[in-house]
Amino acid sequence: MPAFMSALAAPSLPVSLPFEAALAEMAAPLLLLDAGGTVLFTNARAAALLSCAEPVGLSLPVLLAQSGAAEPEGEPVLEAVRATRPARARLTLDGDRRVEAALAPLSAGGFALTFEDVTEQLRGAALARQEPLTGLCNRVGLHDRLHAALAEADRTGAPLAVLMLDLDRFKAVNDTLGHPVGDALLRKVAERLRKATRSGDVVARLGGDEFAILQAGAEQPQASEALARRLVDLVGRTYVVDGHMLNVGVSVGVAVAPVDGRGADDLLKHADLALYRAKAEGRGTYRFFEPAMNAQMQARRSLEIDLRRALALKQFDLAFQPQIQLETGAVTGFEALLRWNHPERGPVSPALFIPLAEEIGIIVGIGEWALRAACREAASWPQPASIAVNLSPVQFRGGKLVETVMNVLAQTGLDPARLELEITEGALLENTDSVLDVLNGLRALGVKISMDDFGTGYSSLSYLQKFPFDKIKIDQSFVRGMEGNAECGAIVRAIARLGASLGMRTTAEGVETPSQLDAIRAEGCTEVQGYLTGRPMPAAQAAALLSSSPVASPADAA
Amino acid sequence: MSQPALNQDSLNQDLRRLVYYSRNRVGGPAAMNETIRGILAASRTNNARVGVTGALMFNAGCFAQVLEGPGEAVETTFERIQQDERHGEVSLLAFEAVETRLFTEWSMAFVGASQADAALYGDMAGESGFDLSRMTGNNLCAVLHGLALEEEAAAA
Ligand SMILES: Cc1cc2nc3c(=O)[nH]c(=O)nc-3n(C[C@H](O)[C@H](O)[C@H](O)COP(=O)(O)O)c2cc1C
Repeated sequence: MPAFMSALAAPSLPVSLPFEAALAEMAAPLLLLDAGGTVLFTNARAAALLSCAEPVGLSLPVLLAQSGAAEPEGEPVLEAVRATRPARARLTLDGDRRVEAALAPLSAGGFALTFEDVTEQLRGAALARQEPLTGLCNRVGLHDRLHAALAEADRTGAPLAVLMLDLDRFKAVNDTLGHPVGDALLRKVAERLRKATRSGDVVARLGGDEFAILQAGAEQPQASEALARRLVDLVGRTYVVDGHMLNVGVSVGVAVAPVDGRGADDLLKHADLALYRAKAEGRGTYRFFEPAMNAQMQARRSLEIDLRRALALKQFDLAFQPQIQLETGAVTGFEALLRWNHPERGPVSPALFIPLAEEIGIIVGIGEWALRAACREAASWPQPASIAVNLSPVQFRGGKLVETVMNVLAQTGLDPARLELEITEGALLENTDSVLDVLNGLRALGVKISMDDFGTGYSSLSYLQKFPFDKIKIDQSFVRGMEGNAECGAIVRAIARLGASLGMRTTAEGVETPSQLDAIRAEGCTEVQGYLTGRPMPAAQAAALLSSSPVASPADAA
Repeated sequence: MSQPALNQDSLNQDLRRLVYYSRNRVGGPAAMNETIRGILAASRTNNARVGVTGALMFNAGCFAQVLEGPGEAVETTFERIQQDERHGEVSLLAFEAVETRLFTEWSMAFVGASQADAALYGDMAGESGFDLSRMTGNNLCAVLHGLALEEEAAAA
């Protein structure tokens, strides 16, 4: 290597032979440059990395250009050579190799330039931030990008928005058609999200059917509002996947920095709260964060904490509301109504706590308790009156309902024919077939099944055809509306006739005035339940009422 | 362009027909003109490539379209159309397996009572081979045709 040796002969680089051998075999790619940036020495690793057989003698700019490093990337290194400074820069070489170059001026003059190949490392880091199913950013990636965007926004004062998205009805698709179809749907959703956003926006899948979008560099809140509206429209359009027509919707919650928070965690949390509100208010819509949501969520959380321990602390109770046979005026039975009496809150409205108990799933335990308490009470009555107990749609999901009812009947000794289980249309909305199986299983135990709140759902009528209910309970809104609204009267009449022709009893709910009572009698309902004919009452009072009045046995009423 | 698609149908077990109608969101005649030309150009090349044929009807109020072809191709084409914001409230009326195609090519036509629009787009039907008898001969397509006429009246 004469050229090299002669260069070494210059007084500035006193390298002896063992050094040279060591450098040549060193694992790290290394170049030695003279003060003007011409290559004096290269080891084999560096030559291979730069795909250059003989770099010695080339000037650094020429060498970099030959190796594919683009102009602006290499500039900081060339600049540092001119200024005799150390420098670090990331370069992209031929074959898409990413290297980190470090230039160090040597005390004896000239430079050492070392390289580290970071291609795999960068690829790994990118993969670690990518969600494999859709190719979108994952939660870690979103956090990174959000932190960077917030730092940038802090400098420029520009606003940015975080949108949290949650698909509506996705679980039903997954449950009924299976994961492959669910996954294909998620990929199409991801594609629509990409399509709806601009190239600078970050779209992430956070897991399951949760997505998020980071929107920077746009005027807020106008841009996020426009985007949210487009998302609700585009994502909500029908999908065709594997020959299936699928409909899911999307709910969106939006938080805008800096007004709704300056930190990533606050923004994400607030967008989540807004999403929660969007879902609570009917889904398929978007909501912006409002400070009041924090307080509301705290109130909800504290109610949830109390509700979770209410069963163990024996704060639940049942009230019994009489059901009267219209023809004879006799008590045919009672509906058991759940009451929650909290020591500090006082009585909490079922309209408040039952939806919450359903949402967090503890309705299953509470419902079982109510069923057992109601059956035990009814078994102790002096007359064999019927006892109606409400079932939540959630109770149908666990696959244990029939077994539970069977156990309760066995434990309490109640005649199954006296038990009436009331379900609402909500129970039949999802997985209708499996719910019908459960209903048939219950029917096989000998219990009766009623359709509650009839007329308020979308397709109540079609359910009557799918299952032979023993009883239809006409929703109180129709009964209340009968005075002064001819249509309500017509609806009550139609349901009563329908019931009669299908062999189902009809109970009018919510009767409050004598004229309403006259009206529903005229329309042909068989039973009535309401404040006029009896308010919900404690167990002891219900038992006393039964001892003092004649009872139409459930068999007579049927 | 239709021959290859048709020749393969006998081999293709998975022939599907998709029918939808949607509301036209294109504002104004100038934009409408550009949109219609754009859809025509995109559809001609894209659909022929994947063996999709059908008919597109439009007026100031709505679009109504029949797409026929291999299931996968119809799905992908429809997904692209679903992402198009020049229309909205897309109602998917049918997506079903069929034995044969009703439409041997891709065609489109203005369908409506508006004289001005008919003058503007009238020649397109002839040019693209739109065949009204195929439209009204099939039950579902006849329904679609009727819907398109109603939508124009509603938008007026
Ligand atoms: C009502 C309507 C019908 C359309 N039909 C088709 C079609 O049949 N085939 C198609 O490729 N594009 C169709 N398009 C256009 C697509 O939405 C999209 O703009 C186009 O496929 C993009 O094609 P390019 O990527 O080749 O430009 C339709 C658009 C609308 C609004």
